[in-house]
Amino acid sequence: MKLLRTAVILVGFLSAALPLLWMGLSSIKHRDATISQHPKVIPALLASNTDASPLFVPTTEAYRGLGQIHAGAQHSFWHHLGNSAIIGVLSTIASVLLGTCCAYGFSRFVVPGAKDWLFFILSTRFMPPLAVVVPVLLMYRQLDLQGTHAGLVLLYTVFNLSLSVWLMKGFLDEIPRAYEEAALVDGWSRSQAFLRVVLPEARTGMAVTAVFCLISAWNEYGFAMTLNSSGAVTVPPYFAGLQGNIEGMPWPQIAAGALLFVLPIVVFTVAVRRHLLRGMTFGTIKQ
Amino acid sequence: MRDRGVLKWSLVGPTLLLLVAFNVFPLLWNVVLSFTSAELVGEGSRFAGGANYGRVFADPRFAGALRRTALFVLLAVSIELVIGFSLALALRRDFKGKTAVLTTLLVPMMLSPAVMGLVWSLVLNGNYGILNQLLGLAGLGQPQWLTDRDLKFFSIVLVDVWMWTPFMMLIALAGLSSIPASIHEAAEIDRASRWTVFTRITLPLCAPLLGLAVLLRATDALKQFDLVMAVSGPNDPSTQTLSTLLYQVVFRDGKVGLGSAYACTVLVVVVALATVFTRYVDRLRAREAVR
Repeated sequence: MKLLRTAVILVGFLSAALPLLWMGLSSIKHRDATISQHPKVIPALLASNTDASPLFVPTTEAYRGLGQIHAGAQHSFWHHLGNSAIIGVLSTIASVLLGTCCAYGFSRFVVPGAKDWLFFILSTRFMPPLAVVVPVLLMYRQLDLQGTHAGLVLLYTVFNLSLSVWLMKGFLDEIPRAYEEAALVDGWSRSQAFLRVVLPEARTGMAVTAVFCLISAWNEYGFAMTLNSSGAVTVPPYFAGLQGNIEGMPWPQIAAGALLFVLPIVVFTVAVRRHLLRGMTFGTIKQ
Repeated sequence: MRDRGVLKWSLVGPTLLLLVAFNVFPLLWNVVLSFTSAELVGEGSRFAGGANYGRVFADPRFAGALRRTALFVLLAVSIELVIGFSLALALRRDFKGKTAVLTTLLVPMMLSPAVMGLVWSLVLNGNYGILNQLLGLAGLGQPQWLTDRDLKFFSIVLVDVWMWTPFMMLIALAGLSSIPASIHEAAEIDRASRWTVFTRITLPLCAPLLGLAVLLRATDALKQFDLVMAVSGPNDPSTQTLSTLLYQVVFRDGKVGLGSAYACTVLVVVVALATVFTRYVDRLRAREAVR
């Protein structure tokens, strides 16, 4: 039984980790080594990239080459990473602020039809992007928002509201009402109590919510590729656009870019480890 | 009292307005568009009656995509459930380095499917992919993961399983840890067999949470778009799902009216699943409140 348990854990661990390790190894190879017929698994300074040995010469070429503009794209990786960062950060701030206010309303006031509203908010998360993208596209054409940062910021803000409201509602419900009531008795106004008593208490919740909003905006592909194919292109559609490249796929640069792109997410995952369950289930499971 | 009313609606209102503007309104517009002959380029759009819906149901691509999406949801979710639950069972006991192992196991589900799909297409490449090179060293065959018509679809399932098994594991772990130790101790005193303990105690007590996980994953898998695009592209008939078919109809063929009819048909399924999910969450919460 113990042996079986260890085997299951080991196989699971290796399956999760090896593709990521392979991405890392590929990012320090010359292109020849990434498309070699023989597995190239061990970086060694004195090696040949072409023979049948498993050794390859490590290089930082791919990272230095991230500024290059590849066939099938108009800008370099850095440009698209910048777009992803601007859109991700702005939409996250907006989602968390709006979501916190909305969750506070539902948490502390009697809103008519509160339950129905909350489930309406949750259900918007199930909308397939491809099913609403056409009207949004027509709307964005009228408003000149197609291919702009503002367009995607707005869309991701709304897209993440369901997550933000539900997560923040869970966190705010846990803050005792007595704190605000004490402040109200002291003569503070509702908004003062909200800003100076509730918000500081909700800091952790807001940070966790922000991480989940940022990750989902960072990774989004469906809306990004259909609405922003011409301008303010984020990283996922940029990478997708390199497919079918006539010069062959620039694998080392793709691996290097992918690594830099997922690295912040790995760091965030470790940071919110204890809240992962809550975040991934919209706060419906708390632990 | 009136002040409280103003305050409360100013807190809740903006969010609700935005959601109506970006979800309800596009949905209704979609319904309107589905009865027209609108195209992506050009202004001319006429009322077309139910013609688009007639074409949707007569289109063999739609039937194929529907079947493939259903198979995808069924396969991916059940494999993820079985592996995820097994991992959770194996990880129940504490051991040295458990936190590090657990965190590594959870990483794949947080990453971008579009980008990781591309990395996987390097791993799975038939000629220079590491997977086939390892299979070659082990003396096994060389399946053409990305070009074989019969295999491609399953390669996408494979990548989805890689990404989302951690999610099932995470929820299964929560289910397992919610079982009070006293129940297991009582079963031990009664000399219940391992199998009896598993089928009569562990599984039934985990079931509500696993049900939630399955519903969440199923609604997500139903939307599958990113991985199909990254591994195979939108036009390949052997891997086309509902989302990629929609993409092809609207953005490659430019048929907005027809695409909207597809979207409305798909949405009926999505709304049904979302309703089941929200009811389920509601029941689960009601039960927790009783406890």
